[in-house]
Amino acid sequence: MRTGHYKESLGQLVALTDSPTVKAWSIGLVVVLLAAPFAIGNYGLTLMVSALIAVIGAVGLNMLTGTTGLISLGQAGFLAVGAYTNAILLADFGWPVWLSLPAAGIAAAIVSIIVGIPSLRLKGLYLAITTLAFAFIINHIILYAEWLTHGPNGVFVTGATLFDIDLQKGKPLYYLTLGITILTILAALNISRTRIGRAWMAIRDHDIAARVMGIDLVRYKLLAFMCSSFIVGIAGALISLQIRFVNIDVFALILSIEALAIIILGGLGSIAGAVLGAVFLSFLPEAIRLFFTAFVDPNSTFYTSYVFEIRGVVYGVVIVVFLRFVPDGLIGLWRNVRKYWSNWPLAY
Amino acid sequence: MRKHIIAITAALMLSTTAYAAEPGVTDTEIKVGDVNIMTGPASFIGRAVAVGSKIAAAEINAAGGVNGRKIVVVTEDDGYIPARSFQALTKLIEVDGIFALNGTSGTANVLAMMPLITENNLPTVVTTAPNELVYKPVRPSVFTVGASYSDAFYGQLKYIHDNLVKEGGVYGLIRQDDDFGGAIEHGYERAVKEFGLKDAMRLRYKKGTANFAAEMAQMKQAGVNVLANGGIIAGAANILGEARKLGMDMQVAGVWSEDMPPSVNLSAPAGYDYLVADYVALNGPAVDAFLEKAKQFASADEIAAINRYTYITYVGLKVLANAMAQCGQDLTRACTIEKLKATNGFDAGGLTAPISFDNEQQLSGTAVAVYQLNAKDKTFKALTDFVEY
Repeated sequence: MRTGHYKESLGQLVALTDSPTVKAWSIGLVVVLLAAPFAIGNYGLTLMVSALIAVIGAVGLNMLTGTTGLISLGQAGFLAVGAYTNAILLADFGWPVWLSLPAAGIAAAIVSIIVGIPSLRLKGLYLAITTLAFAFIINHIILYAEWLTHGPNGVFVTGATLFDIDLQKGKPLYYLTLGITILTILAALNISRTRIGRAWMAIRDHDIAARVMGIDLVRYKLLAFMCSSFIVGIAGALISLQIRFVNIDVFALILSIEALAIIILGGLGSIAGAVLGAVFLSFLPEAIRLFFTAFVDPNSTFYTSYVFEIRGVVYGVVIVVFLRFVPDGLIGLWRNVRKYWSNWPLAY
Repeated sequence: MRKHIIAITAALMLSTTAYAAEPGVTDTEIKVGDVNIMTGPASFIGRAVAVGSKIAAAEINAAGGVNGRKIVVVTEDDGYIPARSFQALTKLIEVDGIFALNGTSGTANVLAMMPLITENNLPTVVTTAPNELVYKPVRPSVFTVGASYSDAFYGQLKYIHDNLVKEGGVYGLIRQDDDFGGAIEHGYERAVKEFGLKDAMRLRYKKGTANFAAEMAQMKQAGVNVLANGGIIAGAANILGEARKLGMDMQVAGVWSEDMPPSVNLSAPAGYDYLVADYVALNGPAVDAFLEKAKQFASADEIAAINRYTYITYVGLKVLANAMAQCGQDLTRACTIEKLKATNGFDAGGLTAPISFDNEQQLSGTAVAVYQLNAKDKTFKALTDFVEY
């Protein structure tokens, strides 16, 4: 039986978890994810890749909003920077994908400094509006810098091969995305336990108190922007690889709203919550579609006239119901369930 | 016993191999996909498209189908979001196993689907986004019906210059800052150059802009009396509303989306008898005949959703079915593409100019007719026949 927090070695101190159950579940999950492409079709793979990209983006946003407490509505802009960087470097400059992918993250991180500096004195809604304005500015730059971005025409993404393997579809894209997702989660988990992570949490809880304790707000806020945007930029690059075409319509403002919904629904400030929220919202439309396919005749007039609108409404209602009745998010729900069964039969 | 098993297996294989290579085709049906805007503010377009496909499929099926096979249309929603278009088409190809594609949503959406279309050699008829980006460069399996926005605006400005404002015309353009707006400006530019028009002002705005007070004040100050209105639906209506507030007396050229009933209802109160140029017939015997046919195959709700997108999608599926029919029983994608490419003078029943894809760009229906709205009774009258510009 586990005895709490008694540690006997440095290895135990730095381990991400000391729970054999968590380790077993994690290994099991990774094995299932590795085997998934052999059990599901291409459409299933497409959904999985979309969900994994959403996980990466959500973990990135969670670093900024959940951990550091800086609300951002500019995620669509950072996604666009990452996607366009990857697309242009691959298609127009012929860079290899192993260089264009990190370059996409770096470009988004550099751009985030430009947004981050004026945002340093802002918090809450004021910061949200500033980052929203950034998304609009990025949109305009992409549209008007036609010599670089092809303007409104967009860019077809080609040439993402590694050892003659096409990384833009099927299993290779899935494994690439899965690998980056695992790395992102591990990086986020580790950063949250370092001095940087603790500084971010201190800033989130009370920035003035954090400053009094010696935390350099400028440095750590900018660092949060950069780390978060790097990850979101990579997510954008993966979107460009998956869709194989980017233009500004792909990065509509709704993406920023959905990203916030994901981390709030999952449980703000929790990496596991961000993962759960991303997976939940990615598969919810498919679950609703399957429900309607099972219970509504696709040849009916009702289907052609209303079913899609109803699906959209159901999607919104599910989110509202979750936010109202599960305010701690999916991770809170999971903790309650776990606590109940851990204490069973003495649960209260 | 062993012989029986071999015989049964052989029989089963023979019965399935004929069509196993071609997804979406069985002995009894052909699946045709439709990715469309079924949710969100532009869903009235998607609904109209879905009704067009449904009427065409029902009519073809009632007449015995395509060489005995019924057409089944499978619709997926993309909400006008390119990433979802890609996902929707993946689903149609992988889960539903469609044979061909008829509905393709907006320009960015069809471009997002393009890698999948070309990769799967999917016979595709694009009827709702006839943008140059779709047919340049030409993709072997993609066939486009429709005129360019550029030609549509050029045609209207030519008509205005030749017939309505022969002298003293001061021209202005307001358009979105995207590919669609760029195409409109291209037609405007061509008219300005060819007719030596006085080009007073060109303004760009961001998609979704709702307030045009400043833009129209600038137009008034510049003395604009012919406006190329690149706004669509609510945007176009707001532009005209602001112009009316400012008491501007002018001729207006508009986008073809402004001939749809929802757009007319929004724009007509401003009182401008604006022009539109469309590659689809808006009235006349062809439309009357179509509406009569619709009563047979569609519900009252569906008939209420009919607009120009219904007609053009109907034509799209009919021309696709015509190509499939020419392939006989051994229906393949390659054969359908070949027959589509050979299509010449397919009679669209007057809903559009006859369809011919036997050209380098696999592009047809490029002729447009100019119509004028009567803002009082919300009807359109044809000012020209279908003309190539």
